[in-house]
Amino acid sequence: MKGALTKEMLKTQVNPEQPVLKVVNVTKHFEINGTAKSVLHNITFSAGVGEMICITGRSGCGKTTLLNILAGFLKPSAGTVMVNGEPVRKPGPDRCVVFQEDTLFPWLTVRENIAFGLKGRTKDKGYVSKEVDRFLSLVGLREFQHYLPREISGGMKQRVAIARVLILQPQVLLMDEPFASLDYHTRREMQDLLVSIWTELGQTIIFVTHDLDEAITLADRIVVMDRGSGCIRQELAVPLPRPRKAEQTEYLFFRRKLYEFL
Amino acid sequence: MEQLKKGSRLHALLPWIIPGIFVLVWVMVSYAELIPHYLLPNPLKIIKTGSAYIFSTANSPYAGRFLSDAGASLTRVFFGFFCAILFGLPLGILSGRLAVVNRLLDTFINGLRAVPGITWLPLAMVWFGIGMRTTVFLVALAAFFPIYLNAAAGARQINAQLLQAGAMMGVGRFRGSLSILLPGSMPHIMTGLRLGLGISWAYLVLGELTGVPNGLGAVIMDARMLGRVDMIIVGMILIAIVGRMSDGLLVKVLRGCFKSARRMT
Repeated sequence: MKGALTKEMLKTQVNPEQPVLKVVNVTKHFEINGTAKSVLHNITFSAGVGEMICITGRSGCGKTTLLNILAGFLKPSAGTVMVNGEPVRKPGPDRCVVFQEDTLFPWLTVRENIAFGLKGRTKDKGYVSKEVDRFLSLVGLREFQHYLPREISGGMKQRVAIARVLILQPQVLLMDEPFASLDYHTRREMQDLLVSIWTELGQTIIFVTHDLDEAITLADRIVVMDRGSGCIRQELAVPLPRPRKAEQTEYLFFRRKLYEFL
Repeated sequence: MEQLKKGSRLHALLPWIIPGIFVLVWVMVSYAELIPHYLLPNPLKIIKTGSAYIFSTANSPYAGRFLSDAGASLTRVFFGFFCAILFGLPLGILSGRLAVVNRLLDTFINGLRAVPGITWLPLAMVWFGIGMRTTVFLVALAAFFPIYLNAAAGARQINAQLLQAGAMMGVGRFRGSLSILLPGSMPHIMTGLRLGLGISWAYLVLGELTGVPNGLGAVIMDARMLGRVDMIIVGMILIAIVGRMSDGLLVKVLRGCFKSARRMT
């Protein structure tokens, strides 16, 4: 059994089309007190259209650094990141990020936060308003549209954070442990919401998490990073049908195998 | 801050308790004649002088001059304060965000700040003569520092991730400055503007003490020469009232113009 599962799991990069996101030999080291500390080493992977990829690994393995490089907030020491064949040089709305912490603009209401990015693109107020309505409904916050960020819960804030970037229709949605600071039930709820949005929009998503269960619940593929070397330790497909529930026998079976495997 | 129920009687009463006690003690001191009247006039006298200054059309010194004096003073404060904002706000925000600008300006501005404002008075009189321009110069100079320093502090403390969020949503530098930097620094900016306006009134009086014919400060100085202590006190009280009202107006205008001022302060 173990052999069969492993073979299935190791089947990576299934998408025959040109990948949306292509990461080639990305290496990053930081200069600390004159000595270079290597954080990422020869990271190579790609994401096809509509794929959900989870990047996981123990804390300090460089997953957030990698995400910051994908977003364009950091420059790699070597290697390239390409989105639709174009190299990434700086942050841009084709690669939007949902951060772990609350980074909504505290002086704008839920509605205004979601409209923020789109307002910079078009002067057509009717269009903006229609789109904002659509995405408010998508994340289930219509009733809260006139609230300020400080008046809503942590889970709602992350819904706003998701809506305000999805409205820009990014090529790749980057998520940096977005549910890590939420309580267990809210986190499960948000995971379900994310899967349903992903199914509806077909959005390509790179999702960083340290929580293996979260990775198994969400991902088409899991990229496991190694703390010591800064390399990719393993890339695995998750062959489980959706919706995935932690109580299902296949899920438990896969999870046990995965832990053994790692 | 522990909250106080708005609209309650206590809420309405509290601000007036200390001024009330103050006036009461004054009345008592005055009727007990602990201090001679030519040094500290009786409050009734103050009210009479004050109402003559504001409302009277009689042909006596100071009668009915209030509106023209207040108008002159307000104009000087307005122009001086406006100049201070014009330079202080953009320079402060730049200096809070860009290390180059901060390094370039900080030594100079802090050195300048160490010079007491009063010492500029003789030079200002030589440069600008007596009157409007000297006063506006002094007000602008004094109000500049709190506005600049607070804008810089506000821009410095902005959560860097808010700016990152703006960058990833495709916000350019110009729009980012207006729609992220400015509102994000608003609580600090507001503090700076209010401090600046307060100082403006102080330096207004300084500028007007030098022999200009009109203005609230000029009236006070004039009254001193005529030995009219009652008029000096009326002038001081009126400056307190007009200053307090201008502060309230400033806050209202900011809240009216900026969502961030409305929602974050």
